[in-house]
Amino acid sequence: MSSIICATRGGEACRRTQEKAVALAKEQGAELTFLYVADSSFVGPVDKSLADAVTDEMARLGRALLRVAQLRARDQGLAAQTVVLQGPVQQSIKDHLRQVEASTLVIGAPRTGTPPQTFTPPEIQRFAQAMRQDLDIEVLVVT
Amino acid sequence: MENLLVNETLLVVLILVATLVSVVARRIRLPYTVALVLVGLVITVWRPLDIELTPELILSLFVPPLIFEAAFHVDLRLLRSTLPSILMLAVPGVLLTTFFVGAIVALGTGLPFATAIVFGALIAATDPVAVVALFRELGVPRRLAVAVEGESLFNDGTAIVIFRIALVTAVSGVFDPVDGLFDFLQVALGGMAVGLALGWVTAQLITRLDDRLISATLTTLLAYGSYLVAEQMHVSGVLAVVVAGLLAGNLGVTSTSPVTKSMIFNLWEYLAFIANSLVFLLIGLDIDLPQLWSNLGSIAVAVVAVLLSRAAVVYGLSWLISLSGSRARVPPSWRHVLFWGGLRGAISLALALSLPANLPHREILQAMSFGVVLFTLLGQGTTIKLLLKRLGLIERPEHVLERERHLGRLLAIQGGLRRLERLHRDGVLIDEIWEGLRDDYAHTRNTLGGEIHRLFAEHAELERELLLQARREALQAEHGALIDALRQGLLSEKIFSELRADIERRLEALALIQASVQSRRQPPAGG
Repeated sequence: MSSIICATRGGEACRRTQEKAVALAKEQGAELTFLYVADSSFVGPVDKSLADAVTDEMARLGRALLRVAQLRARDQGLAAQTVVLQGPVQQSIKDHLRQVEASTLVIGAPRTGTPPQTFTPPEIQRFAQAMRQDLDIEVLVVT
Repeated sequence: MENLLVNETLLVVLILVATLVSVVARRIRLPYTVALVLVGLVITVWRPLDIELTPELILSLFVPPLIFEAAFHVDLRLLRSTLPSILMLAVPGVLLTTFFVGAIVALGTGLPFATAIVFGALIAATDPVAVVALFRELGVPRRLAVAVEGESLFNDGTAIVIFRIALVTAVSGVFDPVDGLFDFLQVALGGMAVGLALGWVTAQLITRLDDRLISATLTTLLAYGSYLVAEQMHVSGVLAVVVAGLLAGNLGVTSTSPVTKSMIFNLWEYLAFIANSLVFLLIGLDIDLPQLWSNLGSIAVAVVAVLLSRAAVVYGLSWLISLSGSRARVPPSWRHVLFWGGLRGAISLALALSLPANLPHREILQAMSFGVVLFTLLGQGTTIKLLLKRLGLIERPEHVLERERHLGRLLAIQGGLRRLERLHRDGVLIDEIWEGLRDDYAHTRNTLGGEIHRLFAEHAELERELLLQARREALQAEHGALIDALRQGLLSEKIFSELRADIERRLEALALIQASVQSRRQPPAGG
């Protein structure tokens, strides 16, 4: 069975991306996993216990957001999985795709004019291209 | 006895005037400290009162509650995140201000350099009461308010210590830098140690007793007691009060019941209001206009010196902090607020009034001090709001207001629905009416829910902020549950402290994530 990974920040702003991933998984009869990466590098140099707490709280936030995505998928008749990873966003997504031998990555492109996200529009295209080349998988960028 | 009655009558009249001024100031949207000084000035011109504003009165009676209340409300987590910039401004900043002001005043007025340095030190402490009150009213970013308030808390202490050293030097004509540095460290660290010890003990007592009256009394004792003990030990009373207030507010009161918490917060809000009202009214009443007029040239030089020094210190040190790559870097718009919000007030006047009678040029120094305080209060205090507006620091984006509006309506609807449900259950509302009203409410609620989802879809940071707020409230509830478990003897003190530290760390982590969300540097991944 093929495996689709939907890398998402969660929340209403990513609903279209998640819905697209659900529709694709149902269409292909594939397994769907919502993936969230908690990257706490933005805090800079702080003591370890605080850095750990930031990562942990971000992961908790991610789990809550992915749970919403999972329930919505269930409402549409699909049992999706959720995975929360910790680390640099792009590398973590790539490692996970490789590890689970995913067939497709679904990821949302930030809309023009919105506040800066993890990826800028050119970055997301570069990242998608790199995933296609390095891992030989389908990448769907939802705009 | 007669004297007591006269003083009591005077106090009642002053409080009455302060209250009336505060009511009027609120209506005409003028910072009330500025209004108090103006009214004091008018009274002095119209009918001078025989009131002597002594340094002891300011430093021993008014300063402890004012500083304690300010420190008490400062959130240590937020303070920690801005601490490097606060300490830079409060220690090297005060030293540089003292030197710059001293040099410009010596050059511009011809006063001896050692005397001008005394003025530089006494005018170095900022007193942002008017600004902070405005911040609270207008809802500027919390970290900015903490930066302004934190700088003022710590620079009061350092300025007083430097002032004393400068004064000894001016009188004796001898300055030993090593001795000076040693004295500075001894007085400053000694003061902080006194505050730390008394603050910690009081915080423990407040937590354990959790009795609203005793706890409120303990905080009052701490505010005045830490000042008096430190001064008796010849260390910094102001720094003792700062540290004591920080500990009592962050370690003591946060762990008490809502009743105790509310009592203590209300008490200190009231005491600070009374102290502020009296001190600024007395400043207005004590201003000697003819003396100011005859020293106008020197005052003009002093004002220019204070403004130039403040600009050099704020912009220069902020630039240095930004070069260091510290997280506590000061955003450019905040630098303008720190510069223009650097008002001078009670501490500067108390120090000016405490100048020994035999100090040469004492009158000029006092006139310059009153002149600078008056200029900063009337000039800067009345225009800071315009600056905040111009910098966009008080204008909240429309989508944030929209979310609040929707949330408010949603909460109101829930409240209304609960009430209707109760009326129906009690048999007051018949089934048909209840169902009709309920459906109508449910429809409005669903519409609002849809609006909120739309807002979240367009502004992801709003949804993040709501989630973070919910998590923060959950952590605070966890904290409350731990306190209950401790009281019931279900937890030992050791485990309680361990678990509480974890919750505090998590709250700090949430503050960092929140700051990141607000600065639109969205940490989580993907799209």
